[in-house]
Amino acid sequence: MPDQALRITNLRCQIAGKEILKGIDLTVDRGKIHALMGPNGSGKSTLAFAITGHPQYEVTGGSVELDGEDMLALPPDKRARAGLFLSFQYPAAIPGVKVANFLHAARQAERPGDLPPAKFRALLMEKMEQLGIDPSFMGRYLNDGFSGGEKKRVEMLQLAVLAPKYAILDETDSGLDIDALKDVGSSIAALRASEEGRNTGFLIITHYPRILSYVVPDVVHVMIDGRIVKTGGHDLAHRIEREGYDKLREESAVVA
Amino acid sequence: MPSPAPVVAGRDHTAQELYDRVAALGPSPFSIEQRTRALDRFISLRSGREKPGRFWRVDFESVAPEARAIDLSAANVRVENNDPAIFVCDLATAARESPELFARAFGTTGIAATKFGSLAAAFAQCGVFVHVPADRACDDPVVIRYTAPAGAAIFPWSIVLAERGARVTIVERLEGGAGAFLCGATEVVTEERADVHYAALQQVDDGARIIWSRAARPGPEARMSWASAELGGELAASDLSVSIEAPGAEANLTAIFFPRGSQHVDVVSTVEHRAGDATSETIVKTAARERGQARFLGNIRIAPHAQGSDARLRDDALLLSPTAHVDSVPALEIGANVVKAYHGATVGAIDAEQIFYMESRGLERGAAERMIALGFFEPAIERFPTAALRDEIRASLAAKLS
Ligand SMILES: Nc1ncnc2c1ncn2[C@@H]1O[C@H](COP(=O)(O)OP(=O)(O)O)[C@@H](O)[C@H]1O
Ligand SMILES: [Mg+2]
Repeated sequence: MPDQALRITNLRCQIAGKEILKGIDLTVDRGKIHALMGPNGSGKSTLAFAITGHPQYEVTGGSVELDGEDMLALPPDKRARAGLFLSFQYPAAIPGVKVANFLHAARQAERPGDLPPAKFRALLMEKMEQLGIDPSFMGRYLNDGFSGGEKKRVEMLQLAVLAPKYAILDETDSGLDIDALKDVGSSIAALRASEEGRNTGFLIITHYPRILSYVVPDVVHVMIDGRIVKTGGHDLAHRIEREGYDKLREESAVVA
Repeated sequence: MPSPAPVVAGRDHTAQELYDRVAALGPSPFSIEQRTRALDRFISLRSGREKPGRFWRVDFESVAPEARAIDLSAANVRVENNDPAIFVCDLATAARESPELFARAFGTTGIAATKFGSLAAAFAQCGVFVHVPADRACDDPVVIRYTAPAGAAIFPWSIVLAERGARVTIVERLEGGAGAFLCGATEVVTEERADVHYAALQQVDDGARIIWSRAARPGPEARMSWASAELGGELAASDLSVSIEAPGAEANLTAIFFPRGSQHVDVVSTVEHRAGDATSETIVKTAARERGQARFLGNIRIAPHAQGSDARLRDDALLLSPTAHVDSVPALEIGANVVKAYHGATVGAIDAEQIFYMESRGLERGAAERMIALGFFEPAIERFPTAALRDEIRASLAAKLS
């Protein structure tokens, strides 16, 4: 019976010769919600890119396994097809590629031939409605001229349509107003209630604990300076809300 | 040692053969005298397409048809037109039966003053005259198709007269076999408030050469749209020009080209704002791959009295291989002071962040690159008429990308 988890072991990563991740251990089980918190510049996005295979992020040690399969040996598209999804902190704009066409291509790549076009369209309409995305977005160029909030909603739309095994959400909450946060929360809840998304494991990267009132985590990790310095339950998020990161930083400095 | 003596002073052997061919032609649409003078101009004028560097393979000053390839009966001309109110005929018929209408458009754009426009005039014989009467709006496009057999040189000439308030879409399809040489001209006159959308789809064989000059004169509050996709040819040169001489006119110019392999494509767009309160928008998308070479020269000229002109020029180039070349030169001459003029340009490879974004959604690298490159052309493709033509262009570009 293979391991049903996204298992990150002693992961080290550098950018342009500078070590950013200094040995990360973190395991996300299927169906569980993990939050990864930490101050700006602590290495959260670096972890997301190292897991998903961004070419600029050089992994220098450790391993990433998805349900027992070595991810580090695969190019990014194969990692995605193995069931990994990243919602980008800053999604790229692709002028000339329509949202609907791209979503269809992505779904086809990850689940070849599973939905006839009419069914796919219906799925898209349903998910767009859930996320409060206007149907006119289908014909717009992907992320091109979108506001920050629109980009994040369309990232969530892709999450909903692809229903991956593991989803990493990198600061999906930043720049969103309360209504948008609620939509993100209910879209994730709907995914978790669906047949396809029932077992999706989440790694929700966030700077502020705000989103965690809408998507309640099972486990909270805190990253400071390229290391996980603390792991706990939901109450850890509340503690950060009250105290900020400084106290944890001091504690971890003593440990390190 | 025998030195090759010129047959006629100042003319080399090849040129003499061309003059001999001209002398044997009929008087329509140009007289022998006009043809001879046109050939003089072709030989003496410079192309205005100087090589931007030594790596450039094509020298336009030496491009000429082989005299013995000139076979004016070889051109295959077909026209599809579903609107009985639109009058379509060959040039000789037009000159004979509707001389007044014909003269309102034919030879009025100055095309025959350029080097290759002169070459087209010297040998012009086959061609199509399209007359759209006043206030006639035609939804189905008129399709004109010129085909050159392999190895043949042909010189088509298209003329469109859209009378006041008329609206028409024309699709010109250019085809030619290996070794063919096509040198043509298209003149469009849109009278007051008329609206002409003229799309050219050039798909000659990759071993053919094609040089085409296109010029239009929109009247007061008239609209003229050129859209050209240069997809074939070992050498393709295309001129798109609009001369605005009446206020309130609107000009839209669109060009797509994509040399790959050893293809060489050279496009010049020219918008002359000679009257004020007119708008023009030029959009050019170029990609180059393998050893493909592309050159674009975008001219915008606003005359000193053309106040209130609004001219925009946007050209973007995508380099898909390190051995490909794109040379893109905007040339804005702005004489008036109350104008809006915008120019924007980019040249570069596909952005690595775009590729990673698509890969992270499960698309293979090659598929991601193709989708991004096709998307790059999309703002220009959308300016072509008819959904079927747009799909055909997308399919053609997709094939060049794979
Ligand atoms: N592409 C990059 N090039 C150079 N340095 C980078 C790059 N991305 C991140 N860094 C550096 O790595 C560290 C961690 O950044 P990041 O992972 O973005 O942190 P977080 O997401 O927690 O805010 C920072 O010091 C940042 O400056
Ligand atoms: Mg970050």
